[in-house]
Amino acid sequence: MSLRAIAASIRVGWAREFNWTNPLAGFTLRTVGPLASVIAASAVYYVASVHNIPPSFDPSMLAYIIIGAALYTHVAAYSWVPTLAIAEGKWTYVFPQVYIAPHSSLPYLIGRTLASFASSTMTVIVSLILSFYALSSIIGTGIPFIVTPVSVSLLILAMVVNIFAAFGLGLLLSAYALFATKFEWALPTYVAGLLMIFSEALFPVSLLPHPVSDIANVLPFTEFMRASRYAMIYGDIPSYSLYLGLSVLGGLIFLGLGYAAFKYAENRARRLGVIDKKTA
Amino acid sequence: MKLHSNPWLRTAYARLWVRAKSIYGEPLWVAINIGFPFFTSFSFTMVYRAYGLGSYAGFAILGGVMISFWGNVLWSMASQFNWDKQVGLFEIYISSPASISAILVGMSLGGILGTAPSAALVALLGWAIFHPAVNPVWPAVISVFALTLASLYAMGMALSSLYLAYGREADSVNEALHEPVSLISGVYFPSTGGFSPFPLAVQAGASLIPLTLGMDALRRTLFFGQGFGEPTIDLELVALAIMGIVLLFASSKALKFLEDKGRRTGTIAVRQR
Repeated sequence: MSLRAIAASIRVGWAREFNWTNPLAGFTLRTVGPLASVIAASAVYYVASVHNIPPSFDPSMLAYIIIGAALYTHVAAYSWVPTLAIAEGKWTYVFPQVYIAPHSSLPYLIGRTLASFASSTMTVIVSLILSFYALSSIIGTGIPFIVTPVSVSLLILAMVVNIFAAFGLGLLLSAYALFATKFEWALPTYVAGLLMIFSEALFPVSLLPHPVSDIANVLPFTEFMRASRYAMIYGDIPSYSLYLGLSVLGGLIFLGLGYAAFKYAENRARRLGVIDKKTA
Repeated sequence: MKLHSNPWLRTAYARLWVRAKSIYGEPLWVAINIGFPFFTSFSFTMVYRAYGLGSYAGFAILGGVMISFWGNVLWSMASQFNWDKQVGLFEIYISSPASISAILVGMSLGGILGTAPSAALVALLGWAIFHPAVNPVWPAVISVFALTLASLYAMGMALSSLYLAYGREADSVNEALHEPVSLISGVYFPSTGGFSPFPLAVQAGASLIPLTLGMDALRRTLFFGQGFGEPTIDLELVALAIMGIVLLFASSKALKFLEDKGRRTGTIAVRQR
C-alpha cells in the first residue's frame, strides 16, 4: 500500500473539510457542534442530579459525562468518513476515478479517515477545554480532571489506538455504501446514535438489559471510553492499560471484519457494475 | 375559493405533495429518520433515570420528538433552496409564475407531514419503553405544539433566504447550528426558568428562539398540567404567535431582496461548488 497515496488522500480530506473557507472559520464551525453536545449532555446530568431529592450531583460523574460526550462525538465524526467518501464520491465522480487507479480505494479511504481523525482530534480537545471552563463557571464547581502531560498523552494514545475500531466500522459501512443509492447518507447518524448508547458514552452499559449490555461491554469503543476515563479522571494506569489493550484487541477484530467485508463488497460491486451507480 | 383557481394555493399544494410523497412513497425513510432522534432521546432518558430525576425522563422523549422537526427545518427548509440552486431547480422556480412564498409554505407543510410519522414513532417508542409520567392539558398541548411548529418553520423560511446567498458553506453552517440551537433551546432539559443551569442573560437570549419558548411551554402543558389561563403559558403562546408572524414577514422580505439582488448581479442561479 502506497504511503504517497495515503498522504495525497490526507491532503484531499483536509481540503474537503476546510477549503470552503479560511481554516480558522472552518475549525471554529467544526468545534461549535461538539462543544454544544458536551455541554448539553452535562446540562442534562446537572438538571437530573441537582433537582433530585436528595440532590445527587457528583463532580466526578460530571467529568465522566464530559469525557464520554466529547469522545463519542469524536468517534462519530470520523468513523463515517469512509462512507461519506464513497457516497459523495459517487455523486462527484471522484470515487470511480479513485477506484480505477490501481490499488487506490483503500489508501484513499485511509487517508480521508486520517485527515478527519486529525481535525476531529483538534476539535474535541478544544471542546474539552472550553466545556471544562464553561461548565466550571456556569455550575460553579470544580471538575476533577487530571491534566498532566502523562494523562493527556495517555488520552491521545487511546484516541490513536481507537482508529483501528473506528476505521473497521467505517469499512463495514463503506461495504454497504458501495451498493447503496439512497439511505447511505442516513446510515452514519444511525450508527452514531447506536454508539451513543452502546459505547458507555453517557451512562454505564450495565444499565442496559441483557444480553445487549454484554455485547456493549466488549465493544472496542466501550473499552476506549473506559481507558480514556482512567487516564483523565481516575488516574489508574493499570486499569488504563487493561482497557487500552482490550480496545486494541477489539479494534483489530473490527478492522479485520471491516476489511474482509469491504474487499468482498468491492469485488462484488465491480462484478455487478455498481461502483459508479448513483440512482436506484 | 376553489383550489385549482388560485395559483398560490396550487403552488403550495404542489410543493407539499412532492415533499410528502418523497417520504410516504418510501416508508423506509420513516425508519431511517427515526434513528438519530430516538437514540439521542434514549441516551438522555437513561441519563435522567441513572443519575436522578427518572420522573422527568419524559423531557428527553419530548426532546427527541421536537429535534426531528428542528432537523427537518434546518436540513430540509433552511438549506433546501441552496440545494435546489445546485441542481438547477431554483432557476425554474424563479422563472415560473409560481410564488416563492407559496413554495416555502408548501415545503413547510409537506415537511411537517413528512416528519410527523418519525416524530410520532419516537414518542410511541419512548412511551412504550420508559413509561414517562405525564399530566397533559391536551387543548393547551395541541395549541402550543401547532404554534411552535408554525414559528419554527417560519424561522426555516427566513433561514432559507439567508442560505440562498451561501455556497457549499451552507452544509457546514447547518452542522454548526444544529447542536448549539438544540442546547440553548433546551430541547432535552429546561434551558429557561428555575430548572435551567444557564445564567439569566443566556436564558434571555435563548428566549428569542421559537424552539426555546415552544419547548418550555410544551413541558409545562404536557408534564406539569398547566393550561390556558396560566400567565407563563399565555405569554409564551402570544410570543410564539408574534415570532411566527414576524419571521414569516422577514422571510418574505429577505427572499425578495436576495432575488432582486441576484437578478441585478446575475448570480441568482450561479452554482457555487
